[in-house]
Amino acid sequence: MTDMTSSELYIADPKMTAQNVNVFYGEKQAIKNVSIDVSTDLVTAFIGPSGCGKSTFLRTLNRMNDTVAGARVEGKIMLEGEDIYAPSMDVVQLRARVGMVFQKPNPFPKSIYDNVAYGPRIHGLAPSKADMDVVVEKALTRAGLWDEVKDRLGESGTALSGGQQQRLCIARAIAVDPEVILMDEPCSALDPIATAKIEELIHDLRGKFAIVIVTHNMQQAARVSQRTAFFHLGTLVEYGKTTDIFTNPKQERTKDYITGRYG
Amino acid sequence: MTFNAAALLLLVAGLALIGWLAGRARSVLLAHRAGNKLHSRPQYHGWYVALWLFAPAILFLTIWSAVSPALVTNTVLDSPAAQNLPQFGFERAAILADARAVAQGKQDIVRLEKSAPLVRPYVQATRQYALIGISAMFALALAGGLYAFTRIRPEFRARSRVEKIVMVALILASLVAILTTFGIVLSLLFESIRFFKLVSPSELLFGTQWNPQSGAPVKDTFGGIPLFWGTVLIGAIIAMIVAIPIGMMTAVYLTQYAKPVVRKWVKPLLEILAGVPTVVYGYFAALTVAPMLREFAVMIGISNASTESALAAGIVMGVMIIPFVSSMADDSINAVPQSMRDGSLALGATPNETIRQVLIPAALPGVMGGILLAVSRAIGETMIVVMAAGLSANLTANPFSSVTTVTAQIVKLLTGDQEFDSAKTLAAFALGLVLFTVTLLLNIVALRIVKKYREAYD
Amino acid sequence: MTNPTSPTDWKGQVMQKRIAGRYAAERRFKLFGLIAVLLSGAFLAFLLITMVGNGARGFTYTHVSVPIDFKAMPLNIDKDRLDDADADQVIANSGLSDLVTFAAEEALGPDAAKLISENAWKEVRTAIKDDPELLNGRHVFELPASSAVDIAAKNGTKSDVSALAAQLKQDGKLSTGIHWPFFRNADATDPAVAGIWGALKGSILTILIAFAIAFPTGVLAALYLEEFAPKNRLTDWIEVSINNLAAVPSIIFGLLALAVFINWFGFCQASALVGGMTLALMTMPVIVIAARNAIKAVPPSIRDAALGIGASPVQVVFHHVLPLALPGILTGTIIGMARALGETAPLLLIGMRAFIGDVPSGLCSPSTVLPMQIFLWSDEVDRGFVEKTSAAIIVLLFVLLSMNAIAIYLRNKFEKRW
Ligand SMILES: Nc1ncnc2c1ncn2[C@@H]1O[C@H](COP(=O)(O)OP(=O)(O)OP(=O)(O)O)[C@@H](O)[C@H]1O
Ligand SMILES: [Mg+2]
Repeated sequence: MTDMTSSELYIADPKMTAQNVNVFYGEKQAIKNVSIDVSTDLVTAFIGPSGCGKSTFLRTLNRMNDTVAGARVEGKIMLEGEDIYAPSMDVVQLRARVGMVFQKPNPFPKSIYDNVAYGPRIHGLAPSKADMDVVVEKALTRAGLWDEVKDRLGESGTALSGGQQQRLCIARAIAVDPEVILMDEPCSALDPIATAKIEELIHDLRGKFAIVIVTHNMQQAARVSQRTAFFHLGTLVEYGKTTDIFTNPKQERTKDYITGRYG
Repeated sequence: MTFNAAALLLLVAGLALIGWLAGRARSVLLAHRAGNKLHSRPQYHGWYVALWLFAPAILFLTIWSAVSPALVTNTVLDSPAAQNLPQFGFERAAILADARAVAQGKQDIVRLEKSAPLVRPYVQATRQYALIGISAMFALALAGGLYAFTRIRPEFRARSRVEKIVMVALILASLVAILTTFGIVLSLLFESIRFFKLVSPSELLFGTQWNPQSGAPVKDTFGGIPLFWGTVLIGAIIAMIVAIPIGMMTAVYLTQYAKPVVRKWVKPLLEILAGVPTVVYGYFAALTVAPMLREFAVMIGISNASTESALAAGIVMGVMIIPFVSSMADDSINAVPQSMRDGSLALGATPNETIRQVLIPAALPGVMGGILLAVSRAIGETMIVVMAAGLSANLTANPFSSVTTVTAQIVKLLTGDQEFDSAKTLAAFALGLVLFTVTLLLNIVALRIVKKYREAYD
Repeated sequence: MTNPTSPTDWKGQVMQKRIAGRYAAERRFKLFGLIAVLLSGAFLAFLLITMVGNGARGFTYTHVSVPIDFKAMPLNIDKDRLDDADADQVIANSGLSDLVTFAAEEALGPDAAKLISENAWKEVRTAIKDDPELLNGRHVFELPASSAVDIAAKNGTKSDVSALAAQLKQDGKLSTGIHWPFFRNADATDPAVAGIWGALKGSILTILIAFAIAFPTGVLAALYLEEFAPKNRLTDWIEVSINNLAAVPSIIFGLLALAVFINWFGFCQASALVGGMTLALMTMPVIVIAARNAIKAVPPSIRDAALGIGASPVQVVFHHVLPLALPGILTGTIIGMARALGETAPLLLIGMRAFIGDVPSGLCSPSTVLPMQIFLWSDEVDRGFVEKTSAAIIVLLFVLLSMNAIAIYLRNKFEKRW
């Protein structure tokens, strides 16, 4: 499998580690024996042809697969040394600590303010209105949206443009102060300018959160990530420094994929 | 002799069959003789002749059977034997009906003395008009058939003609809906206007005394407020207090929590609940629920509780509405995109928080539309209130007392023996007009909300 | 948690407590949902159990054994006339009724009139018509008891005849069995002879009329709207009409029928014909809506294929689309018809609430329908009718549930064949 012994690849203090993870949908195995580490200081990109299991694996990291009837996960996934599939782990807390941004922007049909405040409110992170204002402003600022919406916080979140909606969703995830943010093709529904803004945002957020991003766009993976994992047919074919994967892939399949021979 | 509609229908159908065969044969023959190809296949020529033969005749028969009884009665009334009939009212109608029944052979002998001399004129008039009607019908049938028959040529576009006639039939069928709507609006308006000549609209809409038993359109007999209040109390308040929470929670449980097996069993159960006829609910309310509630009321110290109570009718009506509310809420919740739910769960919300703070607010317009439709249904419901709510027009907020509703009073006013044109019967139509207007408005608003909501997520 | 910018302490006591509270709320909420479902189920069960509990006894009746000796007290009956149409009249005029009363008093004592139904002699009459030989000898008849005795015998309730009834029971003179007159008679004032056949036949005739009008009209209208209607004002009006008619309270249709069919056209009042026409107007929008959905579900590829081989649009619709949509249309129609069958309110207004003691003989003869019979019986004072009402409800529910079951079967069988 992958050559993980290289000292450059070694992550001293991984935020999340997955060991020998298998995922099944009923009888069908969607992820086969995948192991990977995720760090706060590095952005990790998942690439691979459609249907290879990127989303599936991403969703196992915050147990969103629990909501799919018939989905089953084997293996070990640790968040700061705690097994997230252990009975003692609380899903509600886990998902607050491992946030997620979806392919299609999905703001709630509420005001911009309430969209961002939703998470902190249900988790009780900001007891007073003043606290909440601070949390909302901080999240929107970090998501690079504050200047655009600060005068219309009462407007519906669905009235924003697609790119703004996606940044609102990122702000919504940031507001609960997660440790990891999972992004599943966050730019695929956006135009190039909005995409550029999100990529910039990912740059800014690096180091504060561990970020995992699924993308179909090779250039994007190259631009935003430091580590890249290439999936194919449910297996992790190659994992390494982004520069290595794109300039000097070790596996034939990886090379074929990034040079556009299939996928 | 009365003319038997079924026999005539068969006869005309038989003629049409002959026309079909003749038209078909002629087209083949003509094509053969002229040596050129038929434009349409032979059976279309047959259909063309048959339709021309059948349709005008049957149309005439329908209209004739609708108007001829009135014509017959008029002729009888003009006859010398009818000159000493009582001028108005029930007796006159009864005598005429009696004579008619004997004349038509439904009855062997007259039951009323005065109707005997009318039997002969009736028989004669009936025979006369039947003869006219049947001759005219056959003349029409033959004329239509012959017209179509002579038009057959090899190059005649019989198919497109037949298809045109089919299209006309389709359009006519569609127009029945409009006709029904107009029929409702016109008949309600017409009778209501006659009522409003006797009693002012503001008296009906704002008067607080309902006492139509006195019959005369004096003041304080046709004040509708107690009925409107009773309708609102039962249909829009008590029934909804039962139906909305239970229906909503059922929908939430079924869409969000229940395993497929549970859903598979509960859905038909709700369908059964929705399919129980209202008269059964009414009987149940009157016979089982009302006495139980009365006992309960007496137990908690309400002495004037009556056996017919707003509460019994309202609760049972609420149960009747549960499946309706639940299926509307089910649809609305399902129309909220899955991504909303995922978005909320991914933030660490529990299912309960997701449902209450994201799904239901997002589904709210749809749910509101559904509730308006449910209210419209509840206030138009008749049997439960007739059987369980009572007929005394009390303006009270006490749910244990008996109240009455618009629908119950319509039934009350129109059943029993009275002439058609009295203020009482006309009042029923005025109440019907109020009911129709309110339910129509509720429906229009509700459908508009639901439609907007559907569009928002499409 | 006063400083919102510090990292969240998920393991802290405050947070743990909060989470426990949220989970408790979650469990409560789920429980409410379950309770809601159970409440609906419990209500349905309560209703059905009450009806079946009351109604099961409505199918049976108590009979009293009374010997009648025709030899000792011969009746003046010309046996040759027993096959004539007026046989009933002949027997009735022979004094049979007095004879039966007399025989009952002989057998049961002076209170016999209270013990057997006043219509008991009619049962004897039926028996004589079936077998004239009875007139030559002595025979023990099982005569229907009076309603009071019937109730006392079946339910053991106290009344002024309960002691007598208990005595008869001890003497072995009472028997309770299936009450056939219930299935073959029309309404009557005496529970001993009241039946549902009159109402059931009325319902069948009414529904047949309604079907004969509403089905073709509804299907043709649906075909027009789905396949041919141009987008214009008229079509909009038709659509709006249909959607609104589907939600108009049923009693409004009763008012329409009263004003138009009865008072204007003068059609036969209280008849299956007018009832059926009223219900047809009411169900037609339902059928149109169901039919439109079924027609919509036919894939366009089928239309394109047929058009491609040169069929005209009318041919495509009648030869290809309609047959494919038919199962769906039928499902909707059956459900609509079931609803019409349970409908009472509009029929009240066109006179179908009158007492009708005869089984309706034709479309124009006065008749009633099953739900109306339930309504009428529910108002009867005689205790015996409580059971009859529930029994009639059981019959009605049975018919309706069967219709719905057929509809569901059709739906499942033909659902999405393509
Ligand atoms: N809910 C589900 N039930 C059953 N199978 C599923 C489910 N979701 C995904 N799969 C299957 O699992 C495999 C991996 O799907 P996944 O969505 O993870 O792919 P992906 O790499 O994200 O593809 P894409 O790039 O198109 O988003 C696919 O074969 C898919 O068909
Ligand atoms: Mg994916």
